[in-house]
Amino acid sequence: MNQAVLSKLKAIVGENHILTEFEDRYCYSFDSTFINSMPDLVIQPGSRDEIAAICRIAYANDIPVVTRGAATGLSGGAVPVKGGIVIETTRLNKVLEVNTSNFYAIVEPGTITQDYLAAVDKAGLFYPPDPASSKMSTIGGNIAECAGGPHGVKYGITRDYVLGLEVVLPDGSIVQTGNLIDGDMSGPDWTMLYCGSEGTLGVITKIMLKLTHKPQAKQTMMATFSAIEDAATTVSTMMASGVIPTTLEIMDNMTIRAVENFLNIGLPIEAGAILLIEVDGDPQAVEKHVQHVLKVCNDCNASSVKVAKTAQEADGLWKARRSVSPACGKLNPTKISEDATVPRSRIPEMVSAVQAIAKKYNLKMVIFGHAGDGNLHPNILSNKHDKEEMARVEKAVEELFQVALKLGGTLSGEHGIGYLKAPFLVWETGEEGFKFGKDVKQAVDPKSLMNPGKMFDYHDDKAV
Amino acid sequence: MNEHGHEEWKQQLVKCIRCGTCRSVCPVFKEENNENTTARGKVQLLEGVLEGAVKLTPTLQERFNKCLLCKACVKGCPSGVRTDTLFLSARLTNANKNSLPLAKRLAFKGLTFRKLFDTGLRIGSVMQNVVMKKSDDGRGNQARFNIPGSGLDLRRIIPPLAAKPLRDIVPEKTTVTNPKGRAVFFPGCMLNYIYPEAGKAVVNILKRNNWDVTIPTDLSCCGTPAFTSGDQATGRELAAANLKALAGDYDVVITACASCGAALKNEYGEILQNESDHNAWQKLSKKVLDISEFVVKYGDPALFGALPMKVTYHDACHLVRGMDVSKQPRQVFATVPELDFRNMKDADVCCGAGGTFSMAYYNLSRRINDHKLDNAEATGASCLVTGCSACRMHITDGLSQRNSNMRVMHTAEIIDMAYQNGEKQKKGGKQV
Repeated sequence: MNQAVLSKLKAIVGENHILTEFEDRYCYSFDSTFINSMPDLVIQPGSRDEIAAICRIAYANDIPVVTRGAATGLSGGAVPVKGGIVIETTRLNKVLEVNTSNFYAIVEPGTITQDYLAAVDKAGLFYPPDPASSKMSTIGGNIAECAGGPHGVKYGITRDYVLGLEVVLPDGSIVQTGNLIDGDMSGPDWTMLYCGSEGTLGVITKIMLKLTHKPQAKQTMMATFSAIEDAATTVSTMMASGVIPTTLEIMDNMTIRAVENFLNIGLPIEAGAILLIEVDGDPQAVEKHVQHVLKVCNDCNASSVKVAKTAQEADGLWKARRSVSPACGKLNPTKISEDATVPRSRIPEMVSAVQAIAKKYNLKMVIFGHAGDGNLHPNILSNKHDKEEMARVEKAVEELFQVALKLGGTLSGEHGIGYLKAPFLVWETGEEGFKFGKDVKQAVDPKSLMNPGKMFDYHDDKAV
Repeated sequence: MNEHGHEEWKQQLVKCIRCGTCRSVCPVFKEENNENTTARGKVQLLEGVLEGAVKLTPTLQERFNKCLLCKACVKGCPSGVRTDTLFLSARLTNANKNSLPLAKRLAFKGLTFRKLFDTGLRIGSVMQNVVMKKSDDGRGNQARFNIPGSGLDLRRIIPPLAAKPLRDIVPEKTTVTNPKGRAVFFPGCMLNYIYPEAGKAVVNILKRNNWDVTIPTDLSCCGTPAFTSGDQATGRELAAANLKALAGDYDVVITACASCGAALKNEYGEILQNESDHNAWQKLSKKVLDISEFVVKYGDPALFGALPMKVTYHDACHLVRGMDVSKQPRQVFATVPELDFRNMKDADVCCGAGGTFSMAYYNLSRRINDHKLDNAEATGASCLVTGCSACRMHITDGLSQRNSNMRVMHTAEIIDMAYQNGEKQKKGGKQV
């Protein structure tokens, strides 16, 4: 990067908030996927105006800008595949307001999701989206990737809670979308354009979020099935029957075995699948829902259903789910987490398809997902140093995408498209849809400087 | 893990899924907010080293030095990456390539000449006032001027070297009639030269429970400062010397220093290479007990007298994550009559000392320490108890910097005080 530009950027944020050393830039060359690409510079701005000033300079000098929070994404969205400037938003980390009369919050994008959740909880309100990464991910990243989480089944995902945004556009101008009242504004819903935009249309600098009431009561259950097909049928039947659980998580046999091997807590290792089900609401409704859940599970051949009697017991049931990642890590080191998602009614078919693909490519594949919203999270357990196996993984993933789309599903339930799924995006959108996406991108970012190489700006050249 | 263990590196590195959980637990990252301080950042740098993309430059060495070795990332890692051994191994590899600063090299070499080291510190005890002056609050000493290579910030308040080391206060062997067992006590440098009164409390505890205690004269430094800095040869030499000194017909090996304990119990296993040393270590390792573990396992709770104090407890990293000791001191506090124990928030988060870390990055380690002090003060306790003298030193400095009245004591001192009160009450009871 030329010295004149560098000194201008230093003048904006100060020497301490720019990283130029090779070793430091190297640490910003990745996210939670397995791809790497070096940025030319890392900047940690402290305000919206600094971000706008950085964007103006980048725009004048045709330098790519890649915005990131904690870089915990699973689609390569935060990897600077074309180099350029990485803007890390984590210094903008304040919860500016939690409004308890009008049920909204205003947050800066670099706020850690967990910190924001704690602030909302302290105010006595509830913000449902709960991505597994909430301990480290940022709220800005949640919006840019449109994160989900176990609560999504009943409460919806991040997109459903965004009322409005403040965005710095590629040329450094600043716009506000939506409003604090109902998120609506005159004209189309620009806010939605930015949910899941993955930094390709500008930099989100302020976020207005909708809040809701805390559920008064909840109940956790674990249903065991000898055949995974029955568990899958339970999910689709349950969702069609009108009682929507807060959480409906599935674990297949290989996952159960891995977790039991890891924890020794007496999980049924012969079971084909386990469903972890949680219902919430006012206490009477919860009781009714529990009875309903029990009936559906039994009708669908559950071999047993355990209802947690205490909060401790509930926590015990959740412990198994929370330990899936480390437990699977013991089987094989590289875990490739996919989130191809299908309509809830098609879950049984998707389960069979995943099993068939695992067999065909001779891969260890586990299912442990938010089955309730059709997101089975098939995870391939592999070793990234095994080139031959990784080639099979690549083929299996492609086939997974094809099957999901054939069943009326989508490439991504919650991880985003980023770089890794960009080559397949056209399968979902069709040629015309893809062109429309490109046109929108072109209109907002005519120089293709915002997170280039991602989503609709994908060109067939792999990152190193 | 040694420098040439690149296969071992690979096995650990491949497990990292770059999920970033380490971002949520690393005390250094929380202050610095920079990916180059996270475990996953450093793991990626090591991958780069193996691939040839990253060179062993002094800049890289600096990145690995900026780590407290508090093991929070190891504990928090969902994939079980042994970042602690990886980063130690990286320090070793870097030190072999770029060498350590002269002051460090000389200091570590000095540790291996036990008698010279001992004489040096004794002379230091007499001469320390030439370079150090008493701090305004009388809690410790401050450097009079910048001492080259010492890494001593002028603001920093450190305890003086004791006028008499522990070994001059207690005999090599303390015997009781009809002993319940034989203990060998490894006091380590800090209890010997800086906090002998805490070392004496350990001996008292053992004696009071009717155990024989030996403190062998030819013990050396445990080696932690050397091998954690990348000087594994010195670490190994010291480990071997200590194994020899501790070999004897003892039932337990008692430690009262988190780092010495973790070294004897676990870390020697990582650095010792030849088989006979390794075998000797395995035998020793099983016998190592922190003094709080000893009291829970063998101590007589009936000996405790009332101790009306408000205390809180700081878990030293090398106790809670290095030796798996955190329940035991709390169990003891719960047993002592009238002791008002108050758990602090984030009790097991590092206090920022990190051995030589606090010398190289004093300001940063102060900021980390401030969170600890805030949490300790919020409990309303008048005394902070910890089982590690390095933490004690750093926390005491922090309290002085903010003019706090809170005292800092070693776990062993609290236990010894409770025993003393027990004896007084018993005597008092007889009189009535």
